[in-house]
Amino acid sequence: MLIGIDVGGTYTDGVLYEGSSIVSSVKRPTDETNLKNSLLQVLDELVGSGEKDKLKRVVLSTTLVTNLLATRRGERTALLLLPGHGLPQQVYATGPDTYFLKGGVDFRGRVIEPPDKNEIRDVLKEVESLGIKRVAVAAKFANRNNEHEKLIRKIIEEEYPDISVVISSEISCKLNFPRRAVTAYFTAMTLKEWNRFADDIEQALKERDVEAEIHILKADGGTIPLSVSRKKPYETVFSGPAASTMGAVALTRDNLNSVVLDIGGTTTDISLIIGGQPLYASRGAHIEGRYTHINALAVKSIPLGGDSIVWCEWYANGDSAIRVGPHRKGAAACFGGEQPTVTDVFNYNLDLKLGKPELSKAKLEELAQKVRLSTVDLCDNIVEMVIDHLADAVEDMFKEWENEPAYKVWEIIHGRKFRLDRLIGIGAAAEAIIPLVAKKMNVDHFIHKYSPVANALGACVVRPTLAVEVHVDTENNFFTVDPGGYRKSLGKTGNFQLSDAKELAQKYLKEIGQERGMGEYINEFQFYMEEQFNVIKGWHRAGKLFDIGVQVSPGFINEYRGVDA
Amino acid sequence: MKPTGILFFPAFDWAISPTHPEREERLLYTRDQVFEEGIMDLPQIREYKPSIAGLKDIARVHFCVPDIESQITEAHLVAVGSALTIGDAVMQGEVKNGFAIIRPPGHHSMTVSHGNRGFCNINNEPIMIEYLRKKYGIKKVAIVDTDVHHGDGTQEIYYDDPDVLFISFHQDGRTLYPGSGFMDELGGPLAYGTTINVPLAPRTTDTGILYVLDNLVKPLLEEFKPDLVVNSAGQDNHYSDPLANMAFSAQGYARLNSKLAPDIAVLEGGYSVETALPYINMGIIMAMAGIDYSNLREPDYSPTRFRESSSNLEAIKKTVETQLAVFRRRGDTIAANRKKGGDFYKTHKHIFYDTEYIHEEQVVQLRLCPKCSGFRMINSSAQHPNGKFYRVFCISIPVNACEECQQQGRSYYKDMVNNGKFNFVYLQDRIKDEYKSMDMGTETERVL
Repeated sequence: MLIGIDVGGTYTDGVLYEGSSIVSSVKRPTDETNLKNSLLQVLDELVGSGEKDKLKRVVLSTTLVTNLLATRRGERTALLLLPGHGLPQQVYATGPDTYFLKGGVDFRGRVIEPPDKNEIRDVLKEVESLGIKRVAVAAKFANRNNEHEKLIRKIIEEEYPDISVVISSEISCKLNFPRRAVTAYFTAMTLKEWNRFADDIEQALKERDVEAEIHILKADGGTIPLSVSRKKPYETVFSGPAASTMGAVALTRDNLNSVVLDIGGTTTDISLIIGGQPLYASRGAHIEGRYTHINALAVKSIPLGGDSIVWCEWYANGDSAIRVGPHRKGAAACFGGEQPTVTDVFNYNLDLKLGKPELSKAKLEELAQKVRLSTVDLCDNIVEMVIDHLADAVEDMFKEWENEPAYKVWEIIHGRKFRLDRLIGIGAAAEAIIPLVAKKMNVDHFIHKYSPVANALGACVVRPTLAVEVHVDTENNFFTVDPGGYRKSLGKTGNFQLSDAKELAQKYLKEIGQERGMGEYINEFQFYMEEQFNVIKGWHRAGKLFDIGVQVSPGFINEYRGVDA
Repeated sequence: MKPTGILFFPAFDWAISPTHPEREERLLYTRDQVFEEGIMDLPQIREYKPSIAGLKDIARVHFCVPDIESQITEAHLVAVGSALTIGDAVMQGEVKNGFAIIRPPGHHSMTVSHGNRGFCNINNEPIMIEYLRKKYGIKKVAIVDTDVHHGDGTQEIYYDDPDVLFISFHQDGRTLYPGSGFMDELGGPLAYGTTINVPLAPRTTDTGILYVLDNLVKPLLEEFKPDLVVNSAGQDNHYSDPLANMAFSAQGYARLNSKLAPDIAVLEGGYSVETALPYINMGIIMAMAGIDYSNLREPDYSPTRFRESSSNLEAIKKTVETQLAVFRRRGDTIAANRKKGGDFYKTHKHIFYDTEYIHEEQVVQLRLCPKCSGFRMINSSAQHPNGKFYRVFCISIPVNACEECQQQGRSYYKDMVNNGKFNFVYLQDRIKDEYKSMDMGTETERVL
């Protein structure tokens, strides 16, 4: 027995899965002021419908961290940056408490400028005097050598034991200093709140005698144990769209190229599935206007949903134009709202009998009279606008993917071309809208009876994921490992080959996977990056550089055998 | 404010040979630096994806012997295609300017290409410029070649085109490959003064080079009024470059690009892959995007490390003065050359391809047209590394050719095909945008 719960902005959805079917599903409005209660309410209903001691795993997807960051309710955090030379330092300032420190490292991990301990102590004194208890430290090229970050952490731990510190190299070793700095900053900011939430959840499950494993859904469409998430709250952002996308994959289970449209109240989330695998965002999750190193699925959100209002814009010369959205003003008219919405239009046009259809009709007639159209013509126009808008957004999405930069001859010559097979509709409004968009685009569409709770199903049945990257420099005799930021000596460098580098990456994947309780899934890895360069000095080879990436990509747990139609 | 377009194509899977300076690793540290800085995430930058050029784009500039396919690799098509992509982005107003950080380079490739010269097979900038001229109707273009080596290929391609101003400053040809780019190379008889060379003594510093920029390049551009300014952005004037002997810095390159304000920059040479390229490329991107670059410098840089000698600065001042005067009296010189009369102006050339040890012999004839700047015919022969000897005849009708020159050029093509002395006869008709090659062995004609 498995449970998946997705606490979304509007609704909290949950499913209970057993054998090969969804035994029960629950949809309840989310109480934004108390996410924990919304979650537990749904959990109780689901647990009540099954046998508690047969429950093996519970996966939660929550907007807690996303909301903390969006509403800036995270803890006050100082960001200590060591940007060295390059862009103007101010470009990297993040939040009100950014401090710049001396210290520089280059791309080969060589120290260019040592840090200044007096300067560090002065800054820490100021941080303490401001009552700040959280510090994030980030240095340019700390992914190649993190000794400066570690020095600062050591000083803080020794001299300010009540200040807690996060260093960027332990968060990520990917290139891109500002993304690493922002991710470290967000981590420090949300650590305490997230741990409080994790405590509450553990406590609540204990009270309910639930002994199942608890996992958290990540933005990349995989899970991590709740205990591991305590150090990595950032991994939980944007898990909602990941849940929907993985739900769509779970319902289709084939190798086609699809676009997933999750039509919600205010927005439609669009994601891509290429050959059965969800697409990652190439620049990482985008939070509060900043790119991060959080591995996330590529999801494009457009301001068009079932509750988007339909209205008329008047110009000074007396002309008018019909508009759809982008605003939402409460529920659809058929559910007692003040203004006609996209839902009302489809309700009227397709006779869906949602809520009180006569209210849809009344509000639309009112608008039709204003613009001197028949209600039928008005609705036809709006349907067409909605369809066009969605079809354009879908095309933009895969054009963007096709146009992503590439750096090898092979990749360009064998260019990307996305042949769209199918649209997958998720969310309550999908059934009315998706078939029309598919028809317009001349592709198939797929809507399942469980489409409205696909997000919860996605959370329920996905497997753990893990990506490990190793950078090896044989000339300087070191390697680094991400995640974790380890930097170690290679030992023998004499005849180090690509196969040795791959073996090293695999070894760390297994080690880290074991720490994270990934069990058998760790064996389902694949290499996604294999770079090898000769370092030439004069006309001779002085060493080699390798960058290897290995991962367990998003997929499903062995217990998942599809859903009965 | 519009962003700056960046196209980064390091060709991580292409090299001339494993330890050759033009190898996979060349832009690796530039990648590390540029990506670590996070500059691509800034709103001032828009990154573009490389694309693939068509054979016709290459035929618009080059006569590849025996055909285009045998002179290029896929990497060349992507490097050229990338330059075209940046050109389009600038011309269509998506970006205010653009920098194509691409390899393989091209500025030593001449009109006729029998093989690789100075690491180059085909010439990225002229291919881009002719593409933009055809597509957007641009007339006047200025190319400023800031590579330490003389841009002899680009110079040769535009030697007889008065609408393209080619300015190259470089380490003196008596001390460095390719051994040309002297002050008396000033353009053909009908395009005199729009080829300007500034040979510089080894160890010239930021001061010397920026003097040339302020006192020669800027005034030339102001007077020439080009529709498009292209920087052929070699990076080997740097003090750490292993193949040359100059003393230019990353700050110097950034300031040069601020002053020059090119519409498009295209990477050429530069082989100090670890200690210069990452910083110079950052500097050029920042300068083009209008980002403050005062915090940028190489790890071993010190502002007092290099001082320009007063004698060198005096020599540079003289060069600048001379070349400015040559440029300003170009109208009179061309008029005088036209008056001399004669049908064709004939020159003999020997061209050495250092990478592949090819010796090419050329007889070039320029029609001394009373109305336009004439059309060119090149009679070229060379033995290729595979032992085959090629004798080819090439006719090039430029975009600005008059009716008479167009007709003559086209009829010469027929005559030479009938003549039968050549292995291949080529016609480059930029007016019709049609490129013919006749294989006399098989008697098959190919039209692009």
